[in-house]
Amino acid sequence: MTQSAYTVTVAKDLADLIPSFMNNRRKELETLRAALAKSDFEELRRLGHRMKGAGSSYGFDLVSAIGKAIEDAAKASDAAVIGSNLDTYEDYLAKLEIVYE
Amino acid sequence: MSEVAARLPLGLSSGFRVLIVDDDPDMSEFLAHMLRAEGMDATTATDGEEGIAKVYAEAPDLVLLDVMMPGVTGFEVCSRLKSDEATAMVPIVLVTALDDSASRVRGIEAGADDFLSKPVRREELIARVKTLRRLHETRRELERRRLAAEVESREAIRRAFSRYVSPRLADRIIEDAGSEGELFSRRAQRIEVVALFADLRGFTRITERTEVVEVVAMLNEYFSILTDAAYHHDATIFNMAGDSLLVGFNVPFPQEDAAERACLTAQEMVARFAPVAARWEQRYGIATGVGVGICMGEAILANVGSPHYTSYTIIGNPVNTAARLMQTAPANEVLMCGSVYHKVRALLPENSVEPRGEVTLRGKAEPIAIYAARVAVVD
Repeated sequence: MTQSAYTVTVAKDLADLIPSFMNNRRKELETLRAALAKSDFEELRRLGHRMKGAGSSYGFDLVSAIGKAIEDAAKASDAAVIGSNLDTYEDYLAKLEIVYE
Repeated sequence: MSEVAARLPLGLSSGFRVLIVDDDPDMSEFLAHMLRAEGMDATTATDGEEGIAKVYAEAPDLVLLDVMMPGVTGFEVCSRLKSDEATAMVPIVLVTALDDSASRVRGIEAGADDFLSKPVRREELIARVKTLRRLHETRRELERRRLAAEVESREAIRRAFSRYVSPRLADRIIEDAGSEGELFSRRAQRIEVVALFADLRGFTRITERTEVVEVVAMLNEYFSILTDAAYHHDATIFNMAGDSLLVGFNVPFPQEDAAERACLTAQEMVARFAPVAARWEQRYGIATGVGVGICMGEAILANVGSPHYTSYTIIGNPVNTAARLMQTAPANEVLMCGSVYHKVRALLPENSVEPRGEVTLRGKAEPIAIYAARVAVVD
């Protein structure tokens, strides 16, 4: 599932934290891919859970949604669902536009 | 507010320090950012062990604790902190996934004070933290007042006691009351005491020649010197009557060197009164001086009296003998029984003690060995 663009509105006072947050997301995607390649579902579950907590806190609801999907699929050891969610995550990170207000 | 309470630092004036324990740096930074925006201090720890260490090292006012952490989980951190008296009072907010009600139950069991859902809504975060901050500050203020009141009441008791016993002894009595409180509630007991009686030679003649007001002032001056000397050596004052004073050593707390203390007290009484005696002699033409009797032995220590008037006192042979010795002692002389003398002889200058042989005191059947120590006085 891909979209042409994703726009996220973030509270202005969080602006300083966003570059580091986004950097961590890109690293996280790599870690997720590596874990999936090793079928490390425990690691996938942990990372999904972490995304679920952090995403919406910052205003990135889709990060939380993908995180929850990964966490649930990891508990069921469902590699296919995780794979498609990682594709969505990658697409999201590539096309994301952040608006501060 | 009382003087004591006013001296204590105000709990409300200091900053509110929050420790955030979360393995996800993005969450820690987010929470810290929010709290700092509210004027609070925030520090972070990235796992359970570090979190526990920082609670001990920094004594934060509040802990925001993530549940799902590798290694030591939030539940474990929580129960460990809550089971140690030193950290149990630090409020802990467990940060759990919104859909995780099982975690909340476990959190309650682990002793968590409150919960915060992840993802975190900033309004919820601020509201919860502010509520706990108010609670914390109220509790701290109450604790501060309670402590101030306790200090005050201790101080009042100490002041009251200090009129009867030396201030150092008063502290010990209060300490004893705090732990066991047995000291004065115990029934009468037999105890080895050193009794010291002192009185003022020549005073009767002064009272015949001076105004009443003046007599009281003179007595006060005399007793001030005697009680100061007694307290200086941690004596307990048992009785003050006319111009005589009874003090005891080795009561109510043991004093290994009770006889030595009594001897030093007697010398100090005599020596410190000498300049006063010189002044009085110049003024009234009458020689005065302190005479002292000291004896040791087994006595009864008890609260004696009626429900309306009770006196904490020592009764028995050494007390009676010390009284008789005092009556016999001329000004500037300390009379002591043999057992006291043998303990204190090392303290006394070579030629200052004179054995008076075996003396049968008035009212006593058996003669006892008596020693007289002259105290060299400088007028």
